[in-house]
Amino acid sequence: MSEVISLENSITSRFDSWVKQHFAEGSALAAAKKAGVQSFQSLGLPGKKSEAYKYTPVTKLISKNFDFDQEAVIATWSKDSCQQEFYPVEDANHLVFVNGQFIEEYSVIKSSSQELTIKLLDEQATTEHPEILEHLGKTNGISQDPFAALNLGFFNQGLFLKNAKNSDAQDTFIYQFLDASSSSPIAYPRILIVGESGSRMKVYEKTFIKGEAKTLNISVVEAVVKSNAEVRFTKLQNYTNEAFAVEGIYASQEKDSRFYTNTFSFKGAMVRNNIYINIDDENCEGHMNGLYQLSGKSHVDNNTSVDHRMPHSFSNELYKGILDESAKGVFNGKIYVRPDAQKTNAFQSNNNILLSDTATVNTKPQLEIWADDVQCSHGCTTGQLDEEAIFYLRARGIKEKRAKALMLNAFANETLQELKNDLVKEEIEDIITNKLG
Amino acid sequence: MLKIENLHASVEGKEILKGINLEVKPGEVHAIMGPNGSGKSTLASVLAGREEYEITDGSVSYLNEDLLELDPEERAHKGVFLAFQYPVEIPGVSTTNFLKTAVNQVREARGLKALDAVSFLKEMKEKMKIVDIDQALLSRSLNEGFSGGEKKRNEIFQMAMLEPKLSILDETDSGLDIDALKIVADGVNKLKSAETASIVVTHYQRLLDYIVPDFVHVLYNGKIVKSGDKSLALELEEKGYDWIKEEAPAV
Repeated sequence: MSEVISLENSITSRFDSWVKQHFAEGSALAAAKKAGVQSFQSLGLPGKKSEAYKYTPVTKLISKNFDFDQEAVIATWSKDSCQQEFYPVEDANHLVFVNGQFIEEYSVIKSSSQELTIKLLDEQATTEHPEILEHLGKTNGISQDPFAALNLGFFNQGLFLKNAKNSDAQDTFIYQFLDASSSSPIAYPRILIVGESGSRMKVYEKTFIKGEAKTLNISVVEAVVKSNAEVRFTKLQNYTNEAFAVEGIYASQEKDSRFYTNTFSFKGAMVRNNIYINIDDENCEGHMNGLYQLSGKSHVDNNTSVDHRMPHSFSNELYKGILDESAKGVFNGKIYVRPDAQKTNAFQSNNNILLSDTATVNTKPQLEIWADDVQCSHGCTTGQLDEEAIFYLRARGIKEKRAKALMLNAFANETLQELKNDLVKEEIEDIITNKLG
Repeated sequence: MLKIENLHASVEGKEILKGINLEVKPGEVHAIMGPNGSGKSTLASVLAGREEYEITDGSVSYLNEDLLELDPEERAHKGVFLAFQYPVEIPGVSTTNFLKTAVNQVREARGLKALDAVSFLKEMKEKMKIVDIDQALLSRSLNEGFSGGEKKRNEIFQMAMLEPKLSILDETDSGLDIDALKIVADGVNKLKSAETASIVVTHYQRLLDYIVPDFVHVLYNGKIVKSGDKSLALELEEKGYDWIKEEAPAV
């Protein structure tokens, strides 16, 4: 335990001098960051008995692998090397983060600022857009997680995205570049999204890692989806075997709004996703889809919540796992239906296929329902590929490997249905197929 | 074309086939009949390459090759086709997509060029007529939610697409009403030629009213105990399988 406390102290001890260096003293943003660190201190890192991090011993892993005392490394990603990785889409925004910091001059912005505000999340932005401080770190559920609090304290050069009223924005691609070529970076990317009423936007995030060292990504995305607005956020996690990550997505939804998240995880030493959707008003739709297809010793933990606070809303959650070799998958799905949330429809399912005897999955649905007039269902399955089906395909002349790939693609396909960009979809389909060998 | 000699096969240590001898020549239709548990479906499965069966003795030669040495997909490439008694439902894989993959893998193995989307569709349209199968059905997930009749029709449709030399129909009549039975049998008859052969495995004689066999073999207790022409099937229908059981040598 004392080890945990000393790690916490080593993380926070340099905060005061660090924040002075990067943020104007006495500014509202500096105060918010101070509150973040204080919240981290009172929450503490998850210990051995933490229920929320039961299957993912994150504290042990990060204390063993990362040095929080070191200063941020100088990144070797250049503008050109970043831009080479852009999706070939002209009419879109391409936003670059290096080691967790938004770099505007590496980015390409096509949307007009009348429609989509794309801004560095700094003191100036908080003055121009007072709603930032109204929302930053305030989404329900976020205050329970020490890593989200830590991110609030230590993020620097975050990103503010605001889609104007009734604006149908161009696609926005966010590229997270991590530089692990000389030392192990710890990155704190922070994104605040506000979708004004009647607006629609689609955001795709993807990470690139250069170098062989370990990386730690502690990221937070907050999305405020106003009345009748739509926000879609898709995340592609194709990390390295040396990548550690604790990533949060926290959304709050107003009346008649729609929020979609898709999370595709293919690799990582330890990846933890915390996703929390708050349905704060009536007639909302919240969708959460995910696929984890893992091999080697990859470990991915999806910890998800949908919180129905008001009546007449719908949520649907679908996660699928394909686990090979010694990979480990964890799924935890909470659905809260509060007393006022009558006539809620909430569905959840988690299906897994284990391709080896040493792959494991821990799955736990958790429904807490206080309202009495609701429709909720959940289900989880874990199994192997159907041998009879494989034989059927082979008996028609399809080679064994191809037959398995066909089956697994069909299994995974359902998680791609809410993915609206064909390029990203094809990329993910290719990763799925290539991983099958 | 096919020569089975003294074939013994067991599953989980239990011997099911106890010395099968059978020769099939091009152009012939052989019916295999027999009571439940006699080993009919096992024989069909062993010929198609189902892996849970262990061959303990005997040999199967197909087009002068050792059939038992081949993987299921290699057998399909060389023209063996098994119409399943229980076609498998595969959610998420459309029949069209599945068949395109299968047809092109078979073509590749036979040294033919893969069919492009247009020629594949053309080919499909033509073969659909043979079993009167609906386009809408083929865009659905393979066999998922299909009725018994639709599943069996789909089997014969696949057979038409893959153009096998040796077709093995495993209880294709089970679960079919008389109209569906006629359509399926009609499809099989249309595909018949002097170069191809069929083995029709069935419990009842009624399918043989529509697919007329050249030879009828009665399988009992893992052995062929009686062979004859189509009149044997009628005799069986009349007397029942008890007649065979009484005549068969005690085991």
